[in-house]
Amino acid sequence: MTVTEREQRLAQTFVALSDTLVDDFDVMNFLSLLTERAAELLDVTAVGVIVSDQRGGWHPAAASNEDVRLLELFASQTREGPCQDCIRDSAAAYSADLETDRARWPSFAESAAKAGFRAAAAVPMRLRRETIGALTLLNRNAVGVSQSDAELGQAFADVATVGILHQRAAARKETVSEQLQATLHHRVVIEQAKGVLAESGDLSMQNGFELLRDYARSNGQGLTDLAHSIADRTIDPHDLLTAYRLQQLSS
Amino acid sequence: MAEDRRRQLRAALTIDGSAPEVTAVCERCVTHLSVSGAGVTVLSHIGANGDGPQRGLVHATNDVSSGLEDLQLTVGEGPCLDAFATGGPVLISDLATDPARWPGFGPAALELGAAALFSFPLTIGVVRLGSLDLYRDAPGPMAGVTFSDALLLADLATEAIVHDLDGHATEDLSWLANPHAEVHQASGMVQVQLGSSTEVALLRLRSYAYQHELSVTEVAHQVVTRRLRFTGEDDPAQPGGERGERDR
Repeated sequence: MTVTEREQRLAQTFVALSDTLVDDFDVMNFLSLLTERAAELLDVTAVGVIVSDQRGGWHPAAASNEDVRLLELFASQTREGPCQDCIRDSAAAYSADLETDRARWPSFAESAAKAGFRAAAAVPMRLRRETIGALTLLNRNAVGVSQSDAELGQAFADVATVGILHQRAAARKETVSEQLQATLHHRVVIEQAKGVLAESGDLSMQNGFELLRDYARSNGQGLTDLAHSIADRTIDPHDLLTAYRLQQLSS
Repeated sequence: MAEDRRRQLRAALTIDGSAPEVTAVCERCVTHLSVSGAGVTVLSHIGANGDGPQRGLVHATNDVSSGLEDLQLTVGEGPCLDAFATGGPVLISDLATDPARWPGFGPAALELGAAALFSFPLTIGVVRLGSLDLYRDAPGPMAGVTFSDALLLADLATEAIVHDLDGHATEDLSWLANPHAEVHQASGMVQVQLGSSTEVALLRLRSYAYQHELSVTEVAHQVVTRRLRFTGEDDPAQPGGERGERDR
């Protein structure tokens, strides 16, 4: 991407994200779009939004790609790795080459290498003095993060924070806690819906997620609402699967 | 870290590693979270003919708490119903400052003696089990470590209700607070295999784990990797068989 192309794409991305900030705003649509666009614009392989469960644990709430191994890797770096350091210090943490930084995060470096990643970074999602999560980036190539990429990464992290607060950035302190818990609850519903689709259509979990996401997008529906209707069976999973099969045939 | 704290709180509620009782969780909330009272409303819908959740048992540490549970049901609004709608807790540090939010519930709740209200939905994804509702007679937020402990106690209340449903005690609760746990994906798969609700699927996973002395997490892993399938009601479950032996 040239600088101009990237600027145009960036402008489009922020317009697309702000378009989702409407009355029936769905945080999961928002975060899935944000992670995909962040991966593209920061030119990294994968992006994940990790949030606090407010019990001392940290979990991926959304990722640019829902590959099971990738999600595991995102989850593992909440114990050791750039994400953990970023949360502890409330500051960005980078490794341009995990191979040479092996001593810093031995177990994370090993699992990242196994999954084919060479570089990693985490940027804090901050609200006032609190760190509520981290935007984490993984790259297949050993490349450092430029100053402009770091700033853009922080901008995505800030926008993710605003999204989780449902536009109520200036709201009561309690709002943060309410919304973080709601986000994690939505995530559980999505996992249940993935299971329903995986079993009904003999799909992988990742394909189950992509089906949910794409169907929600093309029908202008909230990902959370759709997942809820699939998991409590008010929508027949075969409605989505039929659309999926037709799409497979035509592509 | 989170697991240690969870274990500590759980150990304080039980003597022999058995599942905590809902009433014990309520009492612990009062002694531990600086609130005046705690109530849990259990929704019962197992076996109901698709009528949606019905209110079942109510556990409350005092009359104000039980009054608040009744009130929400009578007026059809309040923090616990909002908590179900959003999926997250509803935290009201000063009820008097926002009378418009619940025109029916708010004034009556103040009248009963509640100045601050904290409602936690007891859910596992789409499975709605009940709510934990705390009140304090003086306004003020619930923050920091106290709030974390409230979430952990809400997890224990969830465990207590599930235990009341099926009688299986399990100490492995890591999946309850882990949104990516395979238990959730497995519940989705098993509900399709059985043609049941997510709730029934979850209980069947637990009962299989109990019968085979496995953790729920291990059983879920077998289901997600398609080495275990659940079949009709009479037959608890079958190893994958032909389908499972194929290297998928």
